[in-house]
Amino acid sequence: MDPRNPNDLSICGTLHSVDQYLNIKLTDISVTDPEKYPHMLSVKNCFIRGSVVHYVQLPADEVDTQLLQDAARKEASQQKQ
Amino acid sequence: MSFLKSFPPPGSAWTEAVLKGKGLGTGTLCTAESRLSWLDGSGLGFSLEYPTISLHEVSRDLNAYPREHLHVMVNAKFGEESKESVAEEEEDSDDDVEPIAEFRFVPSDKSALEAMFTAMCECQALHPDPEDEDSDDYDGEEYDVEAHAEGQATLERLEGMLSQSVSSQYNMAGVRTEDSIRDYEDGMEVDTTPTVAGQFEDADVDH
Repeated sequence: MDPRNPNDLSICGTLHSVDQYLNIKLTDISVTDPEKYPHMLSVKNCFIRGSVVHYVQLPADEVDTQLLQDAARKEASQQKQ
Repeated sequence: MSFLKSFPPPGSAWTEAVLKGKGLGTGTLCTAESRLSWLDGSGLGFSLEYPTISLHEVSRDLNAYPREHLHVMVNAKFGEESKESVAEEEEDSDDDVEPIAEFRFVPSDKSALEAMFTAMCECQALHPDPEDEDSDDYDGEEYDVEAHAEGQATLERLEGMLSQSVSSQYNMAGVRTEDSIRDYEDGMEVDTTPTVAGQFEDADVDH
Protein backbone atom coordinates (compact mmCIF):
# COMPACT_ATOMS: atom_id res chain seq x y z
CA MET A 1 0.00 0.00 0.00
CA ASP A 2 1.05 3.54 -0.55
CA PRO A 3 -0.09 6.16 1.95
CA ARG A 4 0.58 9.56 0.58
CA ASN A 5 1.49 12.17 3.15
CA PRO A 6 1.28 15.90 2.67
CA ASN A 7 4.35 17.61 1.28
CA ASP A 8 4.12 15.00 -1.46
CA LEU A 9 5.92 12.33 0.49
CA SER A 10 4.86 8.94 -0.82
CA ILE A 11 5.66 5.87 1.13
CA CYS A 12 5.20 2.37 -0.13
CA GLY A 13 5.07 -0.58 2.19
CA THR A 14 3.23 -3.55 3.60
CA LEU A 15 0.25 -2.82 5.82
CA HIS A 16 0.91 -4.13 9.30
CA SER A 17 -1.96 -2.64 11.23
CA VAL A 18 -4.36 0.25 11.47
CA ASP A 19 -6.28 1.75 14.38
CA GLN A 20 -9.51 3.64 14.76
CA TYR A 21 -7.87 6.94 13.87
CA LEU A 22 -6.44 5.38 10.73
CA ASN A 23 -2.96 5.63 12.13
CA ILE A 24 -1.04 3.21 9.99
CA LYS A 25 1.88 0.95 10.68
CA LEU A 26 3.84 -0.18 7.69
CA THR A 27 6.71 -2.57 7.34
CA ASP A 28 9.33 -2.97 4.65
CA ILE A 29 8.82 0.55 3.47
CA SER A 30 10.43 2.49 0.68
CA VAL A 31 10.12 6.11 -0.24
CA THR A 32 8.79 6.71 -3.73
CA ASP A 33 10.12 10.28 -4.00
CA PRO A 34 13.84 9.81 -3.54
CA GLU A 35 14.65 13.22 -5.02
CA LYS A 36 12.83 15.02 -2.25
CA TYR A 37 13.85 12.68 0.50
CA PRO A 38 17.15 11.23 -0.59
CA HIS A 39 17.38 8.51 2.01
CA MET A 40 15.57 5.24 1.60
CA LEU A 41 13.62 4.41 4.68
CA SER A 42 14.13 0.69 4.62
CA VAL A 43 12.92 0.11 8.11
CA LYS A 44 11.12 -2.61 9.93
CA ASN A 45 8.28 -0.58 11.37
CA CYS A 46 6.99 2.83 10.45
CA PHE A 47 4.12 4.59 12.21
CA ILE A 48 2.19 7.18 10.23
CA ARG A 49 -0.29 9.49 11.90
CA GLY A 50 -3.66 9.02 10.27
CA SER A 51 -4.48 12.70 10.12
CA VAL A 52 -1.59 13.48 7.80
CA VAL A 53 -2.43 10.85 5.23
CA HIS A 54 -4.04 12.29 2.12
CA TYR A 55 -4.40 9.16 0.03
CA VAL A 56 -3.93 5.48 0.49
CA GLN A 57 -3.30 3.66 -2.72
CA LEU A 58 -3.91 -0.06 -2.69
CA PRO A 59 -2.95 -2.44 -5.49
CA ALA A 60 -6.09 -2.83 -7.57
CA ASP A 61 -5.76 -6.54 -7.96
CA GLU A 62 -5.82 -7.02 -4.22
CA VAL A 63 -9.10 -5.22 -3.68
CA ASP A 64 -12.49 -6.70 -4.43
CA THR A 65 -14.57 -3.55 -4.75
CA GLN A 66 -17.83 -5.43 -5.15
CA LEU A 67 -17.27 -7.26 -1.91
CA LEU A 68 -16.29 -4.02 -0.21
CA GLN A 69 -19.40 -2.19 -1.36
CA ASP A 70 -21.79 -4.92 -0.31
CA ALA A 71 -20.01 -5.51 2.97
CA ALA A 72 -20.03 -1.82 3.81
CA ARG A 73 -23.72 -1.61 2.99
CA LYS A 74 -24.52 -4.60 5.15
CA GLU A 75 -22.39 -3.41 8.04
CA ALA A 76 -23.95 0.03 7.93
CA SER A 77 -27.47 -1.38 7.97
CA GLN A 78 -26.58 -3.70 10.83
CA GLN A 79 -25.18 -0.86 12.89
CA LYS A 80 -28.39 1.09 12.56
CA GLN A 81 -30.35 -1.70 14.24
CA MET B 1 -1.27 15.16 35.01
CA SER B 2 0.77 13.40 32.41
CA PHE B 3 2.22 10.04 33.19
CA LEU B 4 5.89 10.36 32.47
CA LYS B 5 7.62 7.60 30.63
CA SER B 6 11.17 8.61 30.25
CA PHE B 7 13.59 6.63 28.20
CA PRO B 8 17.09 7.46 29.20
CA PRO B 9 19.15 4.59 27.87
CA PRO B 10 20.57 2.40 30.61
CA GLY B 11 23.80 3.28 32.29
CA SER B 12 25.45 6.54 31.45
CA ALA B 13 24.27 6.53 27.84
CA TRP B 14 22.45 9.45 26.28
CA THR B 15 20.34 10.25 23.25
CA GLU B 16 21.70 12.60 20.66
CA ALA B 17 19.21 14.81 18.86
CA VAL B 18 19.84 15.73 15.25
CA LEU B 19 17.87 18.27 13.27
CA LYS B 20 18.45 18.57 9.53
CA GLY B 21 21.72 16.82 9.83
CA LYS B 22 22.95 19.11 12.55
CA GLY B 23 23.65 17.62 15.93
CA LEU B 24 22.06 19.37 18.86
CA GLY B 25 24.04 17.53 21.47
CA THR B 26 23.38 14.62 23.72
CA GLY B 27 20.60 14.56 26.24
CA THR B 28 17.52 12.73 27.38
CA LEU B 29 14.50 11.92 25.26
CA CYS B 30 11.27 11.87 27.21
CA THR B 31 8.22 10.18 25.72
CA ALA B 32 5.51 11.65 27.90
CA GLU B 33 1.84 11.18 27.22
CA SER B 34 1.42 14.92 26.78
CA ARG B 35 4.33 15.61 24.47
CA LEU B 36 7.70 14.38 23.30
CA SER B 37 10.59 16.31 24.76
CA TRP B 38 14.33 16.30 24.67
CA LEU B 39 16.64 17.97 27.14
CA ASP B 40 20.36 18.26 26.97
CA GLY B 41 22.58 18.17 30.00
CA SER B 42 22.45 21.94 30.54
CA GLY B 43 18.67 22.20 30.67
CA LEU B 44 18.15 23.37 27.12
CA GLY B 45 15.75 21.42 25.01
CA PHE B 46 12.57 21.36 23.02
CA SER B 47 9.28 19.56 22.92
CA LEU B 48 7.13 18.24 20.14
CA GLU B 49 3.36 18.00 20.19
CA TYR B 50 2.10 14.63 19.00
CA PRO B 51 -0.45 16.06 16.55
CA THR B 52 2.46 17.63 14.70
CA ILE B 53 4.36 14.38 14.42
CA SER B 54 3.38 12.91 11.10
CA LEU B 55 5.64 9.88 11.09
CA HIS B 56 8.08 8.08 13.29
CA GLU B 57 10.12 4.98 12.72
CA VAL B 58 13.19 3.12 13.78
CA SER B 59 15.80 3.55 11.11
CA ARG B 60 18.26 0.69 10.95
CA ASP B 61 19.51 1.40 7.47
CA LEU B 62 23.15 2.30 7.96
CA ASN B 63 23.38 3.45 4.36
CA ALA B 64 20.83 6.16 5.09
CA TYR B 65 22.39 7.19 8.38
CA PRO B 66 25.44 5.71 10.01
CA ARG B 67 23.75 4.91 13.31
CA GLU B 68 20.46 3.29 14.21
CA HIS B 69 18.04 5.89 15.46
CA LEU B 70 14.47 7.03 15.89
CA HIS B 71 13.46 9.08 12.90
CA VAL B 72 10.66 11.58 13.49
CA MET B 73 9.00 13.83 10.94
CA VAL B 74 7.25 16.89 12.29
CA ASN B 75 4.90 19.37 10.64
CA ALA B 76 6.46 22.40 12.19
CA LYS B 77 9.15 24.91 11.56
CA PHE B 78 12.20 25.02 13.73
CA GLY B 79 14.33 28.12 13.47
CA GLU B 80 17.91 27.61 12.47
CA GLU B 81 20.57 29.56 14.22
CA SER B 82 22.74 30.10 11.19
CA LYS B 83 21.53 32.27 8.36
CA GLU B 84 22.94 29.91 5.79
CA SER B 85 20.66 27.07 6.67
CA VAL B 86 17.64 29.38 6.78
CA ALA B 87 18.36 30.48 3.22
CA GLU B 88 18.81 26.86 2.23
CA GLU B 89 15.45 26.00 3.70
CA GLU B 90 13.71 28.81 1.83
CA GLU B 91 15.19 27.70 -1.45
CA ASP B 92 13.90 24.19 -1.07
CA SER B 93 10.43 24.86 0.20
CA ASP B 94 7.48 26.46 -1.49
CA ASP B 95 5.30 28.95 0.30
CA ASP B 96 2.25 26.75 0.01
CA VAL B 97 3.90 23.66 1.41
CA GLU B 98 3.60 22.96 5.09
CA PRO B 99 6.90 23.16 6.91
CA ILE B 100 8.36 19.84 7.79
CA ALA B 101 11.29 19.03 10.03
CA GLU B 102 13.09 15.78 10.43
CA PHE B 103 14.56 14.84 13.75
CA ARG B 104 16.80 11.93 14.50
CA PHE B 105 17.13 10.70 18.04
CA VAL B 106 20.20 8.56 18.27
CA PRO B 107 20.48 6.61 21.49
CA SER B 108 23.89 5.42 22.43
CA ASP B 109 22.15 2.16 23.38
CA LYS B 110 20.23 1.04 20.31
CA SER B 111 18.34 -1.62 22.22
CA ALA B 112 16.14 1.18 23.54
CA LEU B 113 14.83 1.94 20.06
CA GLU B 114 11.94 -0.53 20.03
CA ALA B 115 10.67 0.78 23.33
CA MET B 116 10.98 4.35 22.11
CA PHE B 117 9.06 3.50 18.97
CA THR B 118 6.30 1.69 20.84
CA ALA B 119 5.94 4.44 23.40
CA MET B 120 5.50 7.00 20.66
CA CYS B 121 2.87 4.86 18.94
CA GLU B 122 0.89 4.65 22.17
CA CYS B 123 1.17 8.35 22.81
CA GLN B 124 0.11 9.18 19.25
CA ALA B 125 -3.06 7.20 19.81
CA LEU B 126 -3.79 9.46 22.76
CA HIS B 127 -3.81 12.54 20.55
CA PRO B 128 -6.23 12.06 17.69
CA ASP B 129 -7.34 15.05 15.70
CA PRO B 130 -10.42 16.65 17.25
CA GLU B 131 -12.10 16.79 13.84
CA ASP B 132 -12.40 13.03 13.63
CA GLU B 133 -15.56 12.75 15.66
CA ASP B 134 -17.42 10.27 13.54
CA SER B 135 -14.88 7.51 13.80
CA ASP B 136 -16.20 5.91 16.95
CA ASP B 137 -18.04 3.08 15.33
CA TYR B 138 -14.97 0.96 15.91
CA ASP B 139 -14.07 -0.56 19.23
CA GLY B 140 -10.75 1.22 19.33
CA GLU B 141 -8.54 -1.79 19.11
CA GLU B 142 -5.77 -1.79 16.62
CA TYR B 143 -6.68 -4.02 13.74
CA ASP B 144 -3.72 -6.22 12.98
CA VAL B 145 -4.02 -7.44 9.45
CA GLU B 146 -1.60 -10.23 10.23
CA ALA B 147 -3.99 -11.69 12.81
CA HIS B 148 -5.24 -14.18 10.30
CA ALA B 149 -7.74 -15.97 12.50
CA GLU B 150 -9.83 -12.92 13.18
CA GLY B 151 -9.39 -11.63 9.66
CA GLN B 152 -10.43 -14.93 8.21
CA ALA B 153 -13.54 -15.06 10.37
CA THR B 154 -14.47 -11.55 9.32
CA LEU B 155 -13.83 -12.37 5.69
CA GLU B 156 -15.98 -15.49 5.85
CA ARG B 157 -18.80 -13.59 7.50
CA LEU B 158 -18.67 -10.83 4.91
CA GLU B 159 -18.49 -13.28 2.05
CA GLY B 160 -21.49 -15.04 3.48
CA MET B 161 -23.38 -11.78 3.47
CA LEU B 162 -22.37 -11.22 -0.12
CA SER B 163 -23.56 -14.61 -1.29
CA GLN B 164 -26.86 -14.10 0.53
CA SER B 165 -27.30 -10.76 -1.16
CA VAL B 166 -26.56 -12.19 -4.59
CA SER B 167 -28.81 -15.24 -4.23
CA SER B 168 -31.75 -13.20 -3.00
CA GLN B 169 -31.69 -11.20 -6.22
CA TYR B 170 -32.24 -14.27 -8.32
CA ASN B 171 -34.92 -15.67 -6.08
CA MET B 172 -36.93 -12.50 -6.23
CA ALA B 173 -36.42 -12.03 -9.93
CA GLY B 174 -37.84 -15.47 -10.59
CA VAL B 175 -41.15 -14.59 -8.96
CA ARG B 176 -43.03 -12.09 -11.06
CA THR B 177 -45.37 -10.42 -8.62
CA GLU B 178 -46.51 -6.80 -8.44
CA ASP B 179 -44.32 -6.27 -5.39
CA SER B 180 -41.18 -7.53 -7.04
CA ILE B 181 -41.74 -5.28 -10.03
CA ARG B 182 -41.85 -2.24 -7.76
CA ASP B 183 -38.77 -3.37 -5.88
CA TYR B 184 -36.75 -3.32 -9.06
CA GLU B 185 -37.65 0.09 -10.30
CA ASP B 186 -34.24 1.29 -9.24
CA GLY B 187 -32.83 -0.01 -12.45
CA MET B 188 -31.46 -3.40 -11.53
CA GLU B 189 -31.24 -5.84 -14.35
CA VAL B 190 -34.29 -8.03 -14.41
CA ASP B 191 -35.60 -10.52 -16.90
CA THR B 192 -38.50 -8.64 -18.50
CA THR B 193 -40.18 -11.50 -20.30
CA PRO B 194 -43.31 -12.62 -18.45
CA THR B 195 -42.86 -15.94 -16.78
CA VAL B 196 -46.51 -16.44 -16.17
CA ALA B 197 -48.50 -17.12 -19.30
CA GLY B 198 -51.25 -14.62 -19.95
CA GLN B 199 -49.95 -12.19 -17.34
CA PHE B 200 -50.62 -9.12 -19.46
CA GLU B 201 -53.69 -10.28 -21.30
CA ASP B 202 -55.92 -7.87 -19.42
CA ALA B 203 -53.80 -4.86 -20.29
CA ASP B 204 -55.39 -2.14 -22.43
CA VAL B 205 -54.47 -2.43 -26.05
CA ASP B 206 -54.26 1.24 -26.94
CA HIS B 207 -52.19 2.64 -24.08
